[in-house]
Amino acid sequence: MAERPEDLNLPNAVITRIIKEALPEGVNVSKEARKAISQAASVFVLYATSCANNFAMKAKRKTLNAGDVLAAMEEMEFERFLQPLREALEAYKKGQKGKREASEQKRKDKEKKTDTEETDKSKEEEEEEEEEERMEEEQEGENEGEEEEVEN
Amino acid sequence: MCCVDYSTSTMAAAVAVPVASVEGEQDRCGVEEEAREQDPEEESSQQPGPIATSQNRLAKLPLARIKALMKADPDVSLASQESVFIIAKATELFVEMIAKDALVYAQQGKRKTLQRKDLDNAIEAIDEFAFLEGTLD
Repeated sequence: MAERPEDLNLPNAVITRIIKEALPEGVNVSKEARKAISQAASVFVLYATSCANNFAMKAKRKTLNAGDVLAAMEEMEFERFLQPLREALEAYKKGQKGKREASEQKRKDKEKKTDTEETDKSKEEEEEEEEEERMEEEQEGENEGEEEEVEN
Repeated sequence: MCCVDYSTSTMAAAVAVPVASVEGEQDRCGVEEEAREQDPEEESSQQPGPIATSQNRLAKLPLARIKALMKADPDVSLASQESVFIIAKATELFVEMIAKDALVYAQQGKRKTLQRKDLDNAIEAIDEFAFLEGTLD
């Protein structure tokens, strides 16, 4: 998947679905309008990212965080988005926590099947490290993950 | 016909049931540091139709694609998972907003089909969309 900026657009079907759900029944959308909206959405991502990144840089951080994005929304005059975004963020954070716990539990169970007690000890250490990894979010994961998906 | 292996037929998936392939991307790339724990996610991501887990229902747009777009900015080094999610969500809200605003112009023209010119009108008239001027083909 060669990802040059020009190739990056959002999946048409998802964009179409979002549009359809926003509009009343019986309303159609021309192909050109859909394409334009999809393009606009990509521009929006780029603009919002740039704006958010300014806030991160101001705070001398290298990692863009959710707060930066929310600040960007305000800057871009999309205050109406703030409330729903905050709510979505809360739900997302809860979901992430649940996922992590579920995955860790599954991994624990898996390990128990194959390994003995001494592995459990090192597993606990690993888990603590993982917790830190995740708390720092993308710091380490980014470096590992980057090579896999995006080649800048 | 629906129960094709989505992981291989990405072309078909992209056209017919993008949600499923979106699922895979989202899980794989939105959760980079959990690369080991692919199995639970992959199972749910191969369900056809609407998003399987409640966690994933939160963002309709694929986080991997959003992230790739963000990375296109040379000034951006790292982005937290949450920030990628929030941008995805904001983009969704943006699409809803612009579609609704453009609809007003279609209705003024007594049309039931949204056309490109309705979008152009909305962009010109609404302050929040000023950043789009000159950016669309």
